[in-house]
Amino acid sequence: MSHLLTALKVAGHSFAENYRSRFFALFLVFAGVLIYSSLLAGVMAVDEEARVITDFGLALMELITLAYALMASASAITREMETKTIYLVLSRPVSRPAYLAGRAAALYAVLASMLAVMALIHLSLLWVRGLAPAPMYLKAVAFIWCKLAVITSAALFISLFSTSAVSTVVIAAILWTLGHFTAEARFLASRSTGAAAVLLSTASLVIPDLQLFNARDLASSVPAPAGPAFLAAYLLLWLVVPYLFSLLLFRKKEF
Amino acid sequence: MTGREDAVLTLSEVHKSYRAPGLFGTAVIPALRGVSFELVRGEVAGLLGLNGAGKTTIMKLATGLLFPGSGSISVFGMPPSDMRAKKRVGYLPELPYFYPASTAAESLRYYAGLSGLGGAELDRRVSEVIEKVGLSPHARKKASEFSKGMMQRLGIAQAVVHDPDLLILDEPVSGLDPLAIHDIRVLISELNGSGKTVFLSSHSISELEKLSGRVFIMVQGALVRTVERREWESSSGGLEGIFVNTVKGGGPGGA
Amino acid sequence: MKKYPDLYLALFSAVVLCLAGRWAFLGTRSPFPPPDSIREVRRSAVGDAIALSLGLRRLAADVWFIRLMQYYGAPSPESAEAGAGPQEYGAGAYPEFLPMARHILALDPYFTNAALFSAGSLAFNMNRPEEAVAFLEDAMSFAPREWKYATLLSAIGYSKAKDPRKVAETITPLLNEPDCPVMLRQLGAFLNKKAGDYAAAYRIYGDILATSKDPFYVDNARREMEKLAPLLRAPL
Repeated sequence: MSHLLTALKVAGHSFAENYRSRFFALFLVFAGVLIYSSLLAGVMAVDEEARVITDFGLALMELITLAYALMASASAITREMETKTIYLVLSRPVSRPAYLAGRAAALYAVLASMLAVMALIHLSLLWVRGLAPAPMYLKAVAFIWCKLAVITSAALFISLFSTSAVSTVVIAAILWTLGHFTAEARFLASRSTGAAAVLLSTASLVIPDLQLFNARDLASSVPAPAGPAFLAAYLLLWLVVPYLFSLLLFRKKEF
Repeated sequence: MTGREDAVLTLSEVHKSYRAPGLFGTAVIPALRGVSFELVRGEVAGLLGLNGAGKTTIMKLATGLLFPGSGSISVFGMPPSDMRAKKRVGYLPELPYFYPASTAAESLRYYAGLSGLGGAELDRRVSEVIEKVGLSPHARKKASEFSKGMMQRLGIAQAVVHDPDLLILDEPVSGLDPLAIHDIRVLISELNGSGKTVFLSSHSISELEKLSGRVFIMVQGALVRTVERREWESSSGGLEGIFVNTVKGGGPGGA
Repeated sequence: MKKYPDLYLALFSAVVLCLAGRWAFLGTRSPFPPPDSIREVRRSAVGDAIALSLGLRRLAADVWFIRLMQYYGAPSPESAEAGAGPQEYGAGAYPEFLPMARHILALDPYFTNAALFSAGSLAFNMNRPEEAVAFLEDAMSFAPREWKYATLLSAIGYSKAKDPRKVAETITPLLNEPDCPVMLRQLGAFLNKKAGDYAAAYRIYGDILATSKDPFYVDNARREMEKLAPLLRAPL
């Protein structure tokens, strides 16, 4: 219980630090400007304005939050190590698992709050244009968060062994794109033999299938690729497993 | 080592090396060579040595930030990474750094919370300590606005806010003006007067002379000499003379 | 196990994750067509690759739909070369119309309105019903339960049989959908007018006037309502 409380304290403080960061505010302002600029695309789409504004807005929300997620998770722990603020935390009765969990939880909370704010901006745009949000809107936003949480978890793990924040961002960005290519990988695997087939099948084991959470790309009438129980379990696994591997690296890290 | 019941910090044949990646392999750089000493309750002990002698390494080992290659370390009879031990230790790293967007009060509240304080007791201790280190006029300023001296005061504040039994202070007067140095010296004496054990390192021989009951002299990772107060007080060259002779005459030898 | 519990826990959960990943890889059916169904159109390869790699199929389909409307909204390239003016109601060759329409559906096979707009334009404006039918059948392969495709197929069939009343009747359910493409509503109004059902035509034009943002269709609806009003003795 005390470890959980400690993790919550670390998470609360980290969330506040992110919230006060000027990059956070800049991202939100940038997001607001871009979301409203999707008005132009909506006008060009004429009678498909609702669909186009919705799609542009959701895509921008996802990409902007992705950029922040990658930058923040690449530097969450490494920055504390570089500035030595971590000394003042780990020299206290703060277990390393609790610290790591707190930092990760803070990032997930920051992403959720960013998406919430951007969704409000986006919905205000739809309201101004007299358009109703699509039935799958909330689900799309929630699933965007799921995708970002997965990649954040992976990026935190990568940051603990990569040589720089830039390389962490690059590797995580590659993982993001590969995660959307699972259908294509499956197609290629079915047509490949030998080493290529083995490589593709192996990749399918270790790369997160982000298409499972790509509700934004599906119409409301299309059934989800997997049931809610599987998706919840898959998400949980992709948050927990990188965390556990991060812990293996972090527990013996010296400062 | 006698393993005394009133031993607060015990190092026994501690070796520590660092790995430095090079072009043709990894170089092993010894930082500590078989260091053994014991701190007893209520004493003020100093650690003196040239840059790279191993002072900071010892302090980080005592706080669980580093792990020994061999040998043993115990804090209040427990491993340094034990949460019960950490609860009783206050650590001031060299050149402490704080979260730039947090105020002094917020930072202290955070660290006090991590050390197990809460509620009214936390509020009381934070107010007391801010007053004690002379930061009351600056409590609501952000750390990014702090001068070096104010950072150092805040560093000491976070080290003592949870009323620890053992203070490990790495260069506590580094970068301070003479008035601030006086204030910190008085504070350390008061803390020792209330029963705290103080272990401090410094480049300032005069500060160690004024504060310490005994001083450990480190040369190239080895504890070569332990000097009692009566010894340097009766020596014509004082602690400085003893130190210079030790460094010039010795290398790794006996205590 | 006792000495390194976290290591064993991490390995065990990694195995579970791999199994889950394998199940997801093999067990789930992608809702989208395989990548080889996406044919390059107007140097779209890089954009398509970016769209797929960032999970932005729907957005890419939107962009291509805007391009399709811009392409179709301009005079047909052959007519422009021959010096002719804009063709009436989108008639003209528009050789890239069908590849662009197919491209949109390859990116997002659930973009129903784009499919209806494209098939309707092919069948009723450009007089290419066979292509429209083939296109709709492709669309139905990914959305077999999409009744609007079946409805439009039937309408195309009746159109080939030169039965405007039947076509109008068939597409009426489509026209009642709030997101029905304005081109189809205009077609419905036109067919009802041709079949003598002026009230139905007037009602559909009124709906276009109230809901559409396309100035071409809005102006046309206003003009038609002015013509129909005396016939109905209905106010404008």
